[in-house]
Formats: sequence, C-alpha cells, structure tokens
Amino acid sequence: MSVAFRHSDAVDFVVLGVGAAGGVMAKELSTAGFRVVALEQGPWRHEKDFNHDEIAVAERGGLINDHKKQPNTFRKTPAEKAKVQPAVGYCQTVGGGSVHFTANYWRFHPEDFHERSAFGAVPGADLRDWPISYDDLEPYYTKAEWDLGISGLGGSNPFDGPRSKPYPLPPMPVKSSGVLFERAAKKLGWHPFPAPMAVLSQPYRGRAACVHCGFCEQFGCEMGAKSSSMTLLPKAIKTGRCEIRPGSYVRKIEVGKDGRVHGVIYFDSAKREIFQRAKAVVVCANGAETPRLLLMSKSNAFPHGLANSHGNVGKYLMFDNGGYAVGVFEHPLNEYKSIVVTRVLHDFYRADPKRGFYGGAGLDARFDMLPIAFALNGTPPDAPRWGAEWKKTVGHYYTHMMGSLAHTSCLAVEDNSISLDDEVKDAWGMPAMRVTFKNHPDDLKTIQFATERQKELLTEAGAKKIWFAPGTMDETTFSVHLMGTCRMGDDPATSVVNKWNRAHDVPNLFLVDGSSLVTAARQQPTETIQALAYRTADHIQQSARRGEI
Amino acid sequence: MTITRREWMLAAACWAEVLRAQTQKFAWFDPAAAAEINAIACQIIPDDDTPGADRAGVIWFIDRSLAGYDADKRELYQRGLGEMQTKRAEMFPGSSSIASLTKDQQIQLLRAMEKSEFFQLVRYHTILGFFGNPTYGGNRDQVGWKLVGVEYTMHYEPPFGYYDAEAAKAGSQ
Repeated sequence: MSVAFRHSDAVDFVVLGVGAAGGVMAKELSTAGFRVVALEQGPWRHEKDFNHDEIAVAERGGLINDHKKQPNTFRKTPAEKAKVQPAVGYCQTVGGGSVHFTANYWRFHPEDFHERSAFGAVPGADLRDWPISYDDLEPYYTKAEWDLGISGLGGSNPFDGPRSKPYPLPPMPVKSSGVLFERAAKKLGWHPFPAPMAVLSQPYRGRAACVHCGFCEQFGCEMGAKSSSMTLLPKAIKTGRCEIRPGSYVRKIEVGKDGRVHGVIYFDSAKREIFQRAKAVVVCANGAETPRLLLMSKSNAFPHGLANSHGNVGKYLMFDNGGYAVGVFEHPLNEYKSIVVTRVLHDFYRADPKRGFYGGAGLDARFDMLPIAFALNGTPPDAPRWGAEWKKTVGHYYTHMMGSLAHTSCLAVEDNSISLDDEVKDAWGMPAMRVTFKNHPDDLKTIQFATERQKELLTEAGAKKIWFAPGTMDETTFSVHLMGTCRMGDDPATSVVNKWNRAHDVPNLFLVDGSSLVTAARQQPTETIQALAYRTADHIQQSARRGEI
Repeated sequence: MTITRREWMLAAACWAEVLRAQTQKFAWFDPAAAAEINAIACQIIPDDDTPGADRAGVIWFIDRSLAGYDADKRELYQRGLGEMQTKRAEMFPGSSSIASLTKDQQIQLLRAMEKSEFFQLVRYHTILGFFGNPTYGGNRDQVGWKLVGVEYTMHYEPPFGYYDAEAAKAGSQ
C-alpha cells in the first residue's frame, strides 16, 4: 500500500539515504508504527532493471554517483590545494551499496571494540575504544543475518565472537579458488572457513536462491538472491506508513531555535526545492555524504555545521586497504562463475604488538575480474599490454587464475577527512565534497605484511605465477568503504554521536551508517553498519515510548 | 578511399571491416579514418589463430561510442591520429597510411606511440569493443568471451572448475 505524505505534514521520521542502513531504518521504523519519509538520491531500480552489461555498469558507472554532477576534490594533506578528482564512489540507487556489493558479510570481532585498551596508543593516529561492546551488538548481528538472509557456517571461524544463533542458510558451494585456498591454508596451519555471504544459498522467505551467474560485485542481482536492503522494503511499503522518494538530493537539515531539527530541504528530480517537515531525522547517507550534509547544514545555533560544536564532523575518515594477489594454476578454475568469495581466514586479524606496528588482515580467496577489467589491467606487470603475446596470455589466464584480497586495517587519523571545498560546486550549486587522505605508516606496513602472507598462501596452493595488482602500496587507496567521519563515543568533545547513534548536540537527530564506526576493523563494514541500524531502531522505539526523542 | 593492389598485398590484414563499410555506414567515422583506426585495433588484438579486433567488429563499437557516449573523445581521436600519421611519415618515408604498412611496421609504429594518450584510448576502446556486450556493436559472435573461455549463460551449477570438481569427487568417495 503506497502512501504519499504532505510536505507540510511533520512525519515521525525522515530517513536520508536508503542504503544498507537506511533500508533497515525505513523498514524497522515503519513496521514499528512510525510514519516515515525516506529520501534517496538515486532512482528506485528493481530486479528487472539490472543486467550483466560490463560496459554500462562497470566501465560507465551505471549504478554509482556521477562525478560530473557531483565532483570531488582531493588532496593528500591539508597543506595541499585540493584538485578535482573522483575520490568517493558509492552506489546511488534505492538499496545503496548493499545492491552492488560483493556481499561479504563479516561480523566485527569482540576485540575490535576495544583495540585501544588491548593494543595501546598509536603515534600519529587516534585509535579509540568503542563505547559499546561486541555483546551489545550481538543480538543485532543475529537479527540482521536472519532478517536479510545470510549464508555461512557459524562456529567455523575460531576467531569469531560467540553467536546466539547459527546462520539461517548453509554456506554457498565452494569454488576452485576456495578449495585451493583451504588446502594451502590448512597446510600452513591456518584456519580457513566458508565465507559468510549476503547471498541466498537456498530459497528464503519467498526469495529465490542464487543461480551462480557471476555478476555480484558492482551489479544488482536480477534474481533478488543478493540480500540487499532492497529486499526489506516491501515490508516497509506494506505498512502504508513508509514513503520512499527516489531522486531526492538533500541540501540542508533545518534546525529551530529550540536546537532541534524540524525537517529537511531537498531538491526533487525536477530540481524543485522542497521542505519536508519531520519530528526527527535519521541520516544514513554514508560515511562521506553524511558529514558533508551536516557541514552544509549551517545555522545560527550551529555556525560550523550541524552536530559539529566540537569540530569533529568529517574527521577520521577511514577507507579500506589491502593488496590484491593473483595466482595462475595448471587446471581451469573458471572463477567467473558464481559468487566472488567462498573461503576466508582471520589468522592475522588481531593487531599483534609483536609485529612492531598496529594492524591486521583478513585474507580471502576471490575472483572479481570480468573480461574487460581483466584485459585492461589484470595481466601480470611483466607481460606485454597489447598484441599477439598479450592476447595469448589473456586467453589462457582468465579461466586459470584466482585472486586473494587482503582486508587490512586503516587507522583513524585526524587530518584524513571529508570537508567542503571552498571553490568547486556540484550541479545543484552546493559545495563539492573535499577528500583529504593519506595512509598512516602502520597501514602501509600492514599491507606489506599481508602481501607476504598472500604470497605464502598462493605458493603453497601451487600457483605457477604470482603477482600483485598495481597500486597495492599507494599512499592513498580510495575505496568504497567510507567510515569513521561522525564517530561514536561517550565524550561529546571527541565524538559526534553517542552510543545509541544519536547526535550529542541534537536530541532528535540520528546518524546511522559507516560514519559512526570508531575503528575500521578489517574491512567488510556492511554487517556492522546494519547491526547498528537495527540497534538504533530498537532504541528509538523504546525512547519514543518514553517520550524521549 | 581506394585501395591499390600493391597496398592490398602489403597490408597486414584487417580489410574485412573496411570492405564491410562499403555496405554499412559509419555513424561518425569517415571510412578512411576508420580504416586507420581499425589497423591500430588489429595490432592491439590481432586476428591470428583465433578471431581478433577485425573479426569482432571492434571498429563498429568505437564508431558508435564516438557518435554517442564518448563524443567528448572525438577531438583526441582526430588529434591523436594526426600525430600518429606524422610519426608514420617520419618512420616510414613514402608510406601513405597506417593501414598500408606491413604488420611489422605497424607494430614498430605503435610501440613508438604506446605511451601516448591516444594509443591508450584506442587500446581502451578496442578492449571494450572486443570483450563488451555484443549489443554495443563489437564482440561479434561473442568472439571475445570465447577467447577467454567464458561460456556465456545466465546461470551455472557446481562444479565450476577442476579443483572444486576434484574436491567434490574426493568428498563423495
């Protein structure tokens, strides 16, 4: 049952961004009885709108933000002048990143929440404990896994925290890369386990199982077998209390004299300016757009941007890191089929002070190179780049290779940030997003450490040739995991939201996405972002009952 | 353009698409420029024991891209081809076109120019036209996907490859 609220009607919640977290918030709040308007920059695509077109989706960025309309500027350090350069990419569609993600679905480990206490301070970084523990989040990890439909084998990763319930679905079938990875890792005394994936290994709650088409990463699932937040939205719509407005570009959250938010100003798809009134606002716009929107929302009460009384909004940006190792094998693996990752190991996940630097890594067995991507940049660096020899290499290697990606840590550094560019504007006349980022030296040491483990693994697996994708050791590794820019904490002087994802400065403003993450763990933040969304929704319901929003 | 018998004999190959152009019209290229770009594409992905850029119809993909999505790259094509012609005349005095060079001469010319933005763009377009969806005009008869061994269907079932098949067999014994 679709509903259309009036703009002048103060709905209970406006949710900004219908991505991994926003989809959860829209569903949880509307099914709890609240009236919700959810605004999304991108269009509302459905299964029938997705395809296997590598040119349209991967080369021409069919699902992601358009940098011509929304330019970024980039600089490594605040001392430099930022230049126009694409730096932040995100899936711009209803469902957000959960639509086109690889579907890795990792819980953070218990120690991820108190690494500062366990490891100690790191010079040049601001490593902090979370204000919550793994145990606080565990019920919501479980809720996310069962609500969305996750395939995996609980208890198979000896480094995981305790779980209250198994995964709802068995692991996906292992691929050749997973078999080689598992055999080699076991010989090395490591502990490989079946990758937990947000892909249905069996039919689940009226949805069809995966058919192994091989187009997960960067693509939307035509089968609806990827467990994106899109799959939750029919439940929200059915309540008759949730209106999703695609094509909405928010420029400001409005604050009243009482210091509370009263609604949002956005441009609809025809660029008409609209003010939607609301009793509370939940920002789920991702770790880059959320701080940008807060910084754009200047008012008398918040001259430096909303919820920014201590100047923390946008700081401590964390990307993901890690080298991509490739190995070629004797027999065909045909890795282009099925999902990207089927085996993972976490033996090097913990930051071990004995290594002499902070950091750790998860390793996976993966393959995510479609033919164009492989032909463009996937051949070994010592091979020719065109011509008859190159053609032979391309023809032979494609079915005979696998990759292993290291998922390495990224420290919170104050200078690494999202801010507003002084000069460049977007197509709506709003300040462009300025990205400042340079890896901490320990992050680079961790990447280097992980490459050695990746080499050991592929060598043990019997690879005839091993190489690393270019850019592995770059000082700046742009990524799609956008974390840490409005982090969570007990102290308003050093954090933006409290342990319930509520802004310290504004009682009826909630921020729920990668921006609240205090540490980046070993990447794969989606499950933690969604668990935080379920937890926040739960908290909001209880607070609302007590009249405390 | 006219092709002399001598040029025909000397040419590296790759006339199929030029001849096809006599019946099928380009959307943006003039046929002479198309023949030159096609000759470059045919050295990037040569037609040898398996089909290459010519057989895949890469030139039709490039033409359609420049007519539409990549219209802003036309200027680079025009300028870049001009620079390549200058280099050709310098390296092979008396030659009249890239297409009429011998295969070895074409490779020498492209090696000399391979760092240029123009060559990188033609390489990019050639790869897209060879491995992309055939609906864009290239990858005719899926020759690109056949080269890399992709059996293109909408779904697969395990076992997917040699090693998982081997493991499944060992597990079932």
